[in-house]
Amino acid sequence: MENAAFLPVAFEVVLLVGALVVLLVAVVADRDRRWWGPVAGLSFALAGAVGFLQWREVEETGGGLFFSSLDVPVFRSPMVVLDGYSAFAAMLLAVVGFVGLLAAWDLVVKVGKRGPEFVVLVLLAFAGLHMMTATPNLVVIFIGLETASIAFYVLAGFVRTSEASKEAALKYFLLGSLASALFLYGVALVFGATGSLSIYGANSIRNFFSTVIVAEPGILLAGMALMLVGLAFKVTAAPFHQWAPDVYQGAPTGAVGLMSAGIKVAAFAAIGRIFIGGFISQIDAWGPIVAVIAALSMIVGTFLALVQDDIKRLLAYSGVAHAGYILTALVAGVQGIGPMWFYLATYSLMVVGAFAVVSTVAGPDAGRAPLADFGGLAKANPELGWLMSSLVLGMAGIPFFAGFVGKVLSFTAAASVENPWPAGDNGYLWLVVLGTLTTVIGLAFYLRIISTMFTGQEPELQTEATLPIRFAVVISAVVTVVFGIVPWPLIDVVRDALPL
Amino acid sequence: MSDIVTVDWYLILAAALFAIGVAGVLIRRNALVMFMSIELMLNSVNLTFVAVSKELGLIEGQVAALFVMVVAAAEVTVGLAIIVAIFRLRASANVDELAELKG
Repeated sequence: MENAAFLPVAFEVVLLVGALVVLLVAVVADRDRRWWGPVAGLSFALAGAVGFLQWREVEETGGGLFFSSLDVPVFRSPMVVLDGYSAFAAMLLAVVGFVGLLAAWDLVVKVGKRGPEFVVLVLLAFAGLHMMTATPNLVVIFIGLETASIAFYVLAGFVRTSEASKEAALKYFLLGSLASALFLYGVALVFGATGSLSIYGANSIRNFFSTVIVAEPGILLAGMALMLVGLAFKVTAAPFHQWAPDVYQGAPTGAVGLMSAGIKVAAFAAIGRIFIGGFISQIDAWGPIVAVIAALSMIVGTFLALVQDDIKRLLAYSGVAHAGYILTALVAGVQGIGPMWFYLATYSLMVVGAFAVVSTVAGPDAGRAPLADFGGLAKANPELGWLMSSLVLGMAGIPFFAGFVGKVLSFTAAASVENPWPAGDNGYLWLVVLGTLTTVIGLAFYLRIISTMFTGQEPELQTEATLPIRFAVVISAVVTVVFGIVPWPLIDVVRDALPL
Repeated sequence: MSDIVTVDWYLILAAALFAIGVAGVLIRRNALVMFMSIELMLNSVNLTFVAVSKELGLIEGQVAALFVMVVAAAEVTVGLAIIVAIFRLRASANVDELAELKG
């Protein structure tokens, strides 16, 4: 355990060192050679290795809490937690960051001398994202959330010449900050109600619930609701999704994949950590609310995706629906953690891969990406067409693709728990039925993408993907297909990815 | 009516400030004013943290308030930069004019 003092924060340290190296060297070094790509890739590879070491450490020792000074009684709360949950998040975020950077490489090339800034922002954002998953302290979760969000606001507005990009940045910034402030007020109210900012540890929220019977839960419930709303904004769950389509459409296409996948992984992990790790004893209070948000997300996401003509907006609304499917798993409590990780691991890579294809066809710094431009893509470039088709089928939830397994796991978890409202022991059956219905309706717009690619006119646009993009798309498509046919290895892993 | 100012007063004041902030973001249409409203929300959270911290005799809330100030400052830098970029483009900070992206 001697090395463990450093290991719990090694993921963040590796990415921050990578970011600092890029920043410092960029001052003096030649900016024409694009050496920052390998540096960032190496940082993500090392971070992934760190995640694996953390996973091994947890398997051997069971993990634990770190960085609390027991000598000073007022600072008893730990700041970092190392468990299967944070270690799996580290591995997943490293993969998403690596593949996302490959998918964004066309954009990095296009922005030329500003490439180092882009890479640094991505590295910093992912350090913040992992911070959200690896801390028991609510304020540190907020700091991680803001670290990532502020970097993403800049990435959304990264193309200075594009009006759409600036508009996306402003919308993302205003609504994202509003969501962060709501989350933070929730933290403050929970602090007032429980007297603790930490989920685990000596003087923690968990201990509070096991020793105190809450007589007047008003402030506590308001705090939990505000935290849920703040995080629901970030994962684009309805009715807090309105910013997502505009931001996805306006932001440079190359950056959208890693932005949306990264924040979804970390914010869902934070929801799981806070509500299932900390407030599990209050599940009768928050479970039905999460179920309603999930239901709204599935309905709104699916039906609004049907009428979109722009593929970036379509993928944004499909992301709203997917947020609903993941929240469906979370109503099950601890049993929902494994399904949530499986869904996040496969869906995040599908999103990154799909946006990589969009960035090839529409241009890495483009705002708009009309679906009509994809006409005949599969004829002009069969490789890209088939890979995109498998990603889209994965999102649609067709059997033998990973999205199907994710949905089955998520629905099974939701159907197996006791349902407090409307009371009954048949689980959230209504939610599962609704989820199945929206999945079927969703096929309409997913198949529309595929039929456009295979039937339309030969496009005049760029269809020849560059090497990094091809790598990114192939990796995500392989993950989608392999874990769709042989999901058991990943299911075994996520079963152990539980919070402490 | 007691003339002792209890922690409730601070919490109610903070809640009122927070509500004003939310209303400002939702009602006002100038990006700068909306941004000021968000800052008001963050500061009302600080007031809550500090009041609770004082009441419960815990230092954590005051530490949290310091962290929130730093985060708010970082947000100001990025936020003002974005608003200035928009203003240069249109000589207006009215968010209703930013309706190129919709559907």
